[in-house]
Amino acid sequence: MDTALLIIHSVCALFLIGAITHQALGVFWPRQPGQTDFVAKARGINPAGYVTAIMVLYVVTFLLGAYIYPVYRVYVRPPLQDLMLTYAIGLFEIKENFAAIGLAMLPAYWYFWKKAPEYTTTRKAMVAIYFLTIWYNFIAGHLLNNVRGFA
Amino acid sequence: MNRIASRAFPGFAIGFTLYYAPAYSFTGATSSFTWPLFTYFPAIGQWNWGLVPGNDNIGPPMWWYGWILSAVVVGLIFAVIAMLLPEKAVQKTLATLVWVVPILAFIFLLNWELPWFVPDWKPIWFS
Repeated sequence: MDTALLIIHSVCALFLIGAITHQALGVFWPRQPGQTDFVAKARGINPAGYVTAIMVLYVVTFLLGAYIYPVYRVYVRPPLQDLMLTYAIGLFEIKENFAAIGLAMLPAYWYFWKKAPEYTTTRKAMVAIYFLTIWYNFIAGHLLNNVRGFA
Repeated sequence: MNRIASRAFPGFAIGFTLYYAPAYSFTGATSSFTWPLFTYFPAIGQWNWGLVPGNDNIGPPMWWYGWILSAVVVGLIFAVIAMLLPEKAVQKTLATLVWVVPILAFIFLLNWELPWFVPDWKPIWFS
């Protein structure tokens, strides 16, 4: 059951990666008139259209991660400590901190993207924060799974 | 709704972050302040109010859930305070702090996360 939830957590994270990457591309590297290649099409999106999907995926991914976290604490982390693989624990510590603060930012992210278009700097900064932290969390989770695997 | 959200939502994020970062950094088995509202012991499925250290009988403690709940409470307090402030006077400030505070918090947290990667690292706070 826990392994199935971990896989679902990873799949949700993958969708989230796709959504935030599309939004970040649309914000920081928008498609220019006349560009029709594959990459340009990935950039040629309406960034505001991804806000709801990102919020839903973030919450679902977060809740799944929070639910299976005890398994990590009991069965994964102690062996890592025994093996002195402290860097792997550190990767996870940063991940949990990014995830918690990112969750708290979601209501404000929704407001500035849906209701306050005049705050362009805030909108861009929040997308940049989510882009970097979500990518980090995805890679860190993947690395940690490779180091120890699941129980 | 917009008038409330413009101050309450950034206020919540700022308050949450301002509590969460030191909570993670300063929580320890001998902390004098109860940063997490509760402690969960996953090995035995037990919840305890406040900060409770683990031992060989009850297993390792999890404070993350407790930090989040504590930070939610602080975030809500900040949201209420933000709503009491005049909208025009604080909206720009909140729109800036809502992303500056998390970035500063990540830097602050990194100082306490580095010992996992650099064993000799001493957090600058005490050095």
